[in-house]
Amino acid sequence: MIDLGFLSYGHFFIYPLWIMLLPFKLPRPILMVLAFIMGLIVDMFYDSPGVHAATLVFTAYAREFVLRILEPEIGFDLDQPFSLKRLGIVWYIAYAALFLIIHLFVYFSIEVFSYVYFYEIMMSTISSLIFSVFIIVIFVMISNPKY
Amino acid sequence: MRNLLLLIAKYGSTITLLFLEVICFYIIINYNQSQKEIWGHSAGLFSGYVNNQVQDASDYFKLQSLNDSLLVENSKLLSTIINYRVNSKENGFRIFETQDSSLLKYTFAPARIINKTINLRNNHITINKGIKDSVTVGMGVVSKNGIVGIVKNVSENYAVVMTILHHQSKISAAIKNNDFHGTLVWPGEDTRIMNLMTLPRHAEITRGDTILTSGYSTIFPYGIEIGTIKDFKIEGGEDSFSIDVELFNDLAKMTHVYLVKNIGQVEQEVLEIDNE
Repeated sequence: MIDLGFLSYGHFFIYPLWIMLLPFKLPRPILMVLAFIMGLIVDMFYDSPGVHAATLVFTAYAREFVLRILEPEIGFDLDQPFSLKRLGIVWYIAYAALFLIIHLFVYFSIEVFSYVYFYEIMMSTISSLIFSVFIIVIFVMISNPKY
Repeated sequence: MRNLLLLIAKYGSTITLLFLEVICFYIIINYNQSQKEIWGHSAGLFSGYVNNQVQDASDYFKLQSLNDSLLVENSKLLSTIINYRVNSKENGFRIFETQDSSLLKYTFAPARIINKTINLRNNHITINKGIKDSVTVGMGVVSKNGIVGIVKNVSENYAVVMTILHHQSKISAAIKNNDFHGTLVWPGEDTRIMNLMTLPRHAEITRGDTILTSGYSTIFPYGIEIGTIKDFKIEGGEDSFSIDVELFNDLAKMTHVYLVKNIGQVEQEVLEIDNE
């Protein structure tokens, strides 16, 4: 058994990718409703009713702020999907990282449900972030190489 | 309606967020064991805190009536103690019952100070009891730490009390334990210091001795502690001490007083006037 140090707090999350990649033009309330449904489905499998749903709804709400921060100078091409090739690997990683920081922090906060465990929340967030960004970028590269 | 639509258009995503999060948290709290426990605990703490605050606030509003009832109770206790003391001095230690009206020499009633002066040469206080509460001119006024003054003027609802800090005020006071007595006057400088005069020079006194009312007047009963001896001297050629007495009472921060009624006052005064 290898001791991973603080990384042993980590889990990896792929499902937020779906909300990440929903089209630009989708109105925010619809995005959030989709996130809610998605979250409830995830919760069914994790047996944690509402936790993922609450997190995902919040993350969907925050997506606009993330995109505003990462908007290139020329702006986004709103009709195009999020494409690794077009936006570049660096942009993609930054997007995934920012998006997941919010998602993971909210998720672990709701999961333990108490600020008493702030250290554990931060450790889980950071270690999961590293895993999840890595996995998500790999996943996108493998599953959709032509983009 | 148009404004409502504009509001929804502007804050639609925030409203959706709040709506969905409320649903989510409802689900989380109801169907997850650990979150449910934490929520129950926190909600308990919060409601406990709120209840506590509400209780404190309502207690605060009850203070007035609570105070009044305590004052009445205090005055009853004071009456018992003073009457017991007076009777035991006069009659030796005899079983004393407040119900026995022949032994009841003094009655007490609480009052609240509603106005006062403290820094003049002649100081008065006004209290919220008057003719309605059977206050009469010449009644004594005491507080929990000593004597305050004598009722000088009474109206329907109020009474003016000449305090001991007044140049006409002369209180008969005695040294505790040896009954030498003199007259307590206020020289007029410090509101905490009074002067005990006409105490014969052969009296044995030391600094720190307690001064109390002598009972040789129709106003104050025997044995109310007034203060302690701070300093004393004999002026050249005089045959009595001049004693500085430090009062227990601080008139400046007093809020409640008790009125003393001597039941035999009129009888005694009439008898003494006839004698002169």
